[in-house]
Amino acid sequence: MRLIPKIIGQSLGILALSAALAVGVNALRPDGLPYVQAAQQSAVALDKTGGEIAIKDAALLFISGRAVFLDARSQFEFEQGHIQGAISLPPREFAAQFQDIKARLMGKEAVITYCDGERCPLSHALAQHLRGAGVKNVYVLKNGWSLWLAEKLPVSKGAAMSSQPKGQEGICRDCDNK
Amino acid sequence: MQGLRQQVGPASNVPWEALAWLLRMAVACVLIYASADKIIRPHDFAIIVKDYRLLPDALVNLTAIWLPWFELVLGVCLFTGFWRQGALFLATSLLALFWVALIVNYFRGINVGCGCFTSTPGEAAPMLWYIGRDALLLALPLAAWEAGRRAEHPEV
Repeated sequence: MRLIPKIIGQSLGILALSAALAVGVNALRPDGLPYVQAAQQSAVALDKTGGEIAIKDAALLFISGRAVFLDARSQFEFEQGHIQGAISLPPREFAAQFQDIKARLMGKEAVITYCDGERCPLSHALAQHLRGAGVKNVYVLKNGWSLWLAEKLPVSKGAAMSSQPKGQEGICRDCDNK
Repeated sequence: MQGLRQQVGPASNVPWEALAWLLRMAVACVLIYASADKIIRPHDFAIIVKDYRLLPDALVNLTAIWLPWFELVLGVCLFTGFWRQGALFLATSLLALFWVALIVNYFRGINVGCGCFTSTPGEAAPMLWYIGRDALLLALPLAAWEAGRRAEHPEV
């Protein structure tokens, strides 16, 4: 019975010929497919160079636990209410507290700073400090606290996530929309 | 079986060779036609392959690149008679694989675009229609096998 070896040999020839043609043509054509499909694109559009982040992107990252939120407002304001899971880090306390929270920023897709008000400078100042300390993927959620509340996203009260002593000396005097 | 053969009539009266050739041509036409649109639009075909959810992501594009050319080479081999037996064996296996894939997805409740003859995402027909049509297509190479066997061994 010579049929089976013959079929196997011919089959291998067809498989090899078709694979060679497929790879060759795919390599030559301008719209060729990559051999391995790219991972599913995230719906979150983050600028690799940092900058500001939109509320809907911040909310998506929050829901999926891919971001850490840093509250740049005063400790007093933080205790009145903050984004759930956020860490209090007013810019003026940065030098004293950064080493304590550094480990909590690791492995996150985005480090998002926020304060309150369209022209609040605290979140930008904190983002500058973070970038200066070598933290990449830092984003500012402009007018973050007001937007977060307006969208009815999860918030917390109290000082649970802060390492700063309770006090009023850090109240945001520069913020609008108070 | 002997009684059945006697009812059908003598084997020599049936043009098995011509029938086997005709069936091989039919399979060749199906495969060549099926390959054309997928070769032209590999990106669309990759989406259909992924939608079957039977392959790991790493194999989706490789399959989308290779499968249409495999169909084309099979079709050409069947058409020309070159590597005929190997091509008929692989064509039967391929159509059986498609048929099983459709049945598996039917029972998983996944209604996919067949991707059998076009890679354009159109309105998907009912899965049972695809399964029935593929069963008929699978019957073609099986019948070609049997006709070829009878042409070579008319006494069997």
